[in-house]
Amino acid sequence: MARRGSRVNTDDEDVELNMTPMLDVVFILLIFFIVTSVFIKEPGTDTLRPDASTEDSLNPSMLVAVTSENEIWINRRVYEMAELQPVIEQLLQENPRARATIQGDEGADIGVILDVQDRLLDNGIEVTISTLQE
Amino acid sequence: MRRRRQQGDEAAEVNMTPMLDIVFILLIFFIVTATFLSEEGINMTPPPESDTPPDESAPPPIVVQVDGDNNIFVNRVRTDVDRVISAVNRFRAESAGSAVLIETNDEADHGVIVRIWDDMGANGVPVSLTRAEDSGQ
Repeated sequence: MARRGSRVNTDDEDVELNMTPMLDVVFILLIFFIVTSVFIKEPGTDTLRPDASTEDSLNPSMLVAVTSENEIWINRRVYEMAELQPVIEQLLQENPRARATIQGDEGADIGVILDVQDRLLDNGIEVTISTLQE
Repeated sequence: MRRRRQQGDEAAEVNMTPMLDIVFILLIFFIVTATFLSEEGINMTPPPESDTPPDESAPPPIVVQVDGDNNIFVNRVRTDVDRVISAVNRFRAESAGSAVLIETNDEADHGVIVRIWDDMGANGVPVSLTRAEDSGQ
């Protein structure tokens, strides 16, 4: 007499899970990923960087790549040296305390790297040169 | 659900499922977009200009010149990239404490300059980088 509805239905109600602990865990994961995520614009090209033994670990927020053909890549686009200033200004506007890292290819001309470095330094940005990652 | 409504004292329990859905979607978004960027590198920026005049008693720097074809000259003696540090150490044995000045042509390879810079840094030799005047831009 008690069970009028189907047996499955009553069982469903009985085994209802307590979601709260799971929600706690998911929230903690969510907060972890929000805090650790850095929205950094990748240059969009791979460079074979020189190896170094005196390297420090960096925490850059702006990446500039210079390939062996001396192309300057920022945010998946190639730029000429003369076009660099507005791009840097725009990136600086998004992140005023940016620190830049130049990913120079082993075969890139040092003159291009130094030009890019000078351009960034003129805008008051700290610059480091990226080396091979172990 | 039916049971709850009947009993009344449990009615305040909130249905968490839609919120959990949203939180999961946010979580997945952040997991996918997270880039754990770890960069290693060196700092080759020139030191800030100071008003104090250079120390006159300091020994003259050892000049390491790199030309556009990556030929390396230590105090005008030709050497190769592996032997720069031994050549520099030989000059430093004569005048202890002298610094190294890398004078590079604009067309020299980035890899060669970083290699020399790193060798100097690893051996505790003070080093600075300048562009050769004749390299032009």
